[in-house]
Amino acid sequence: MAELNCIVVTPEKTALETKAEFVAMPLYDGEIGILPGHSPMIGRLGYGEMRIRAGGKETRYYVDGGFVQVADNVVSILTNRAVLGTNLDAAAAREQLAAANKRRATTDDELALRDRLVVQARAQIHVAERSK
Amino acid sequence: MANARALDKRRKSVRNIRKITRTMELIATARFKKAMDRATAATAYTRRITQLVSDLASSGLQVRHPLMEPREETNSALLLVLTGNRGLCGGYNGGVIRQAIPRHSELKASVSKLRLEVSGKRGISALQFRDIEPDEKFLNFDDQPRFAEVEVIANRYLEEYAAGRLDRLDVAYTRFVSIGRQEAIVETLLPLGGIEGADSDAAVKEVTTGESMYEFLPSAESILEEVVPTSFKVKLFKCFLDAAVSEQIARMVAMKAATENAGEMIKQLSMTYNRARQSQITGEIMEIIGGVEALKK
Repeated sequence: MAELNCIVVTPEKTALETKAEFVAMPLYDGEIGILPGHSPMIGRLGYGEMRIRAGGKETRYYVDGGFVQVADNVVSILTNRAVLGTNLDAAAAREQLAAANKRRATTDDELALRDRLVVQARAQIHVAERSK
Repeated sequence: MANARALDKRRKSVRNIRKITRTMELIATARFKKAMDRATAATAYTRRITQLVSDLASSGLQVRHPLMEPREETNSALLLVLTGNRGLCGGYNGGVIRQAIPRHSELKASVSKLRLEVSGKRGISALQFRDIEPDEKFLNFDDQPRFAEVEVIANRYLEEYAAGRLDRLDVAYTRFVSIGRQEAIVETLLPLGGIEGADSDAAVKEVTTGESMYEFLPSAESILEEVVPTSFKVKLFKCFLDAAVSEQIARMVAMKAATENAGEMIKQLSMTYNRARQSQITGEIMEIIGGVEALKK
């Protein structure tokens, strides 16, 4: 069976380059799973858990927004941050969540910013707990 | 004739200085290599974003975004100056300051609200010396700027730009052209002039067909909405990376020159010292001979 070539790039470096059988990641409005032979696609990523299955083993990452591009069995993930689930700092995320919930948001922009912080923090806590 | 002992003392101190500058050169070389590696690693992201934009453009989508539209009136502007935290790097900090000050006074004349933000101790003190007080100071950027830190600043600019509190952003920094050439320039980052890849030839050719092999999730417009701010952030990050690499190169070159000059100085001092010693010895011998001659009589 064909394999996926999964490349995760952050602005600082190429975080990961690996072969995979299956990749699942959070899109802007829901999760997407990609198997070999997927049709070409460009998607906008959300905040949440990315799972990469290679050789029957699953690795969990937290991705922080960005884009995904699929073509010719190459999955390129462009994200601000890709952190291995076990390296996530759940305590810091909880702090961010608490701080974000306390923020006062009166305008649309502020509301959007607060929502983003909340979603980010929740996703991080979720991924951290699942990869324990 | 100069005192031989004083010359020897001086030679010793020059030798010590040479040791220090030599060490600094080696440190700068190591740091430069690290910074360079990071800068190279960062290009992978830029390349892919460019690719993404050209794919978007080839789908027949008009690449337009509020961030790319020039404002009709520029009421508030911001000048960001990137300098080093430390000196002893030749003309690196001076070059950036020399570019920044004319732009600062030019903007001050044309824009009602102008803010100045400076990164690096050297830039801050140089501007304060000229009675220009920065509104914001950053000291946390060294030879390895982190994206997370730059992103905080970038997000603030984007927010202010969206809210209409900022109409123009200029960055004065040292651009890295090649290892042998870096130049201090002032670049306008907001409004974004254009995104790389949006107007490449291949994209234009395919626009006519208006078809793309990609499926866009959720939609091409939504992706574009996210791509433009991201490419701004990456551009700003690249400014910081370029500045860091250029600083290390400048320091390396300056310290190499200093080491060489110290070597030359030692050579010259040694020559004068040897001469002084020789003349001292000659003088002493003459005295002895003179004494002997006097006793013979």
